[in-house]
Amino acid sequence: MAIPILKQGDVLIASLQADPTDNDLIQLRDELAERIGRLRSIGVVIDVSALDVLDSFATRTLRGIAQTTRLRGADTVIVGVQPEVAFSMVQLGLTLDGIATALDLEEGCARLRQRVDDEASRGS
Amino acid sequence: MLDQQSLRSSQFSLDDADIERRKIIVDLAAEDISRITTLKGVIAQEGDRYTEDFFRYLRDLGEAPALFGRRDALAEAKRRKREHLTALTNGVYDQTYVDQRAALALLYSRYGLETRAFLGAFHHLLRALGGDIMKRFPDDPNGAFQRFMSVKKVAFFDIGIITDVLTSERERTISQQQEAIRELSTPVLQVRDGLLILPIIGMIDSLRAKQLTDSLLRAIRANRARMVVMDITGVAAVDSKVANHLIQTVAAARLMGSTVIITGLSADVAQALVALGVDLGKITTTADLQGGLEEAERLLGYRVVRSAEAPGQRLSA
Repeated sequence: MAIPILKQGDVLIASLQADPTDNDLIQLRDELAERIGRLRSIGVVIDVSALDVLDSFATRTLRGIAQTTRLRGADTVIVGVQPEVAFSMVQLGLTLDGIATALDLEEGCARLRQRVDDEASRGS
Repeated sequence: MLDQQSLRSSQFSLDDADIERRKIIVDLAAEDISRITTLKGVIAQEGDRYTEDFFRYLRDLGEAPALFGRRDALAEAKRRKREHLTALTNGVYDQTYVDQRAALALLYSRYGLETRAFLGAFHHLLRALGGDIMKRFPDDPNGAFQRFMSVKKVAFFDIGIITDVLTSERERTISQQQEAIRELSTPVLQVRDGLLILPIIGMIDSLRAKQLTDSLLRAIRANRARMVVMDITGVAAVDSKVANHLIQTVAAARLMGSTVIITGLSADVAQALVALGVDLGKITTTADLQGGLEEAERLLGYRVVRSAEAPGQRLSA
């Protein structure tokens, strides 16, 4: 089952459902890269709150999405990592270095907005 | 009411191999058992008196007041002691026998009978028993002595079980208390909207680091925290292992979208970490809690000003 991507203003929101397959994740990556350009989005929020495990493949793909998005001129925020997931990821040595994280969707959107504002104020 | 069930569910248990090993340790052999079984009559006659004597001796010493304050507990202990004396001369020292000894020991432990007091009273009982055995075989003092020595082997077998149960109960109490201290000592407190502080006091081992991370992550979610100030002023020793635990906690908090500032690194700790080659470069650190809080407030966009310096902001105005 493909992962739905929602457009909310200039932000794209992808909500991962329980147990996405590797294919779903790759499809998500490609889809996001295409849409960011088409919709002129400023950022992507990926919600992982429904997941009770994030394995090394998922972590790597998320990192790939973040890097692709950056090359396309937008930012990525991963939101909703559950406490248990965070703990087991750390134990396995999996980190999301270099990718912004936030508690939930709301915080994630706020963070993207803030980053855009910061850049705007710096530019002016 | 005495809880009969819980006296049986002791953590202490022995399998048949353990029991045989314990018999070898006290050198209890078949000829001892045949000697002991000739003493059934003594116990049948004097068992009640020995039981009463045993507890009177303890009471006169002023030991285990909790036991003597509870009539039902005392009655239960006496019943079990009497049962012990009968079993002692029956010559069968199996699983049931061991379980009965363990249950009685658990009762002692629950009512605060110390090992040393138990040993004194048990020795008192054995002295009385020894005297009676010598009297019963006046023409065969050597045989009587042999019989008494055989009883003594079983007595030491029993003492082995009782002291093991008393010790293991004490260890259980200590580990329960440690658990309680651990849980008490990791509070996560909110100081401002989105800002938590986590003061850590005492030792950090892997178990505690796990609990600490766990409660921090839960608090981050519950309080929607964006910043966490972790104060380690009270951590006695910071070595590479502890530093690693801290790094993991910080990484886990970051995955949940929270930034962690570690405060309270003293000069000694900082030097020790540098000497060990621990890389805390990715983690924001400040010398004291105040510095950490100020930094966190700045990052959250708070500006703390004295009311005198902020005209129009006074509550009284």
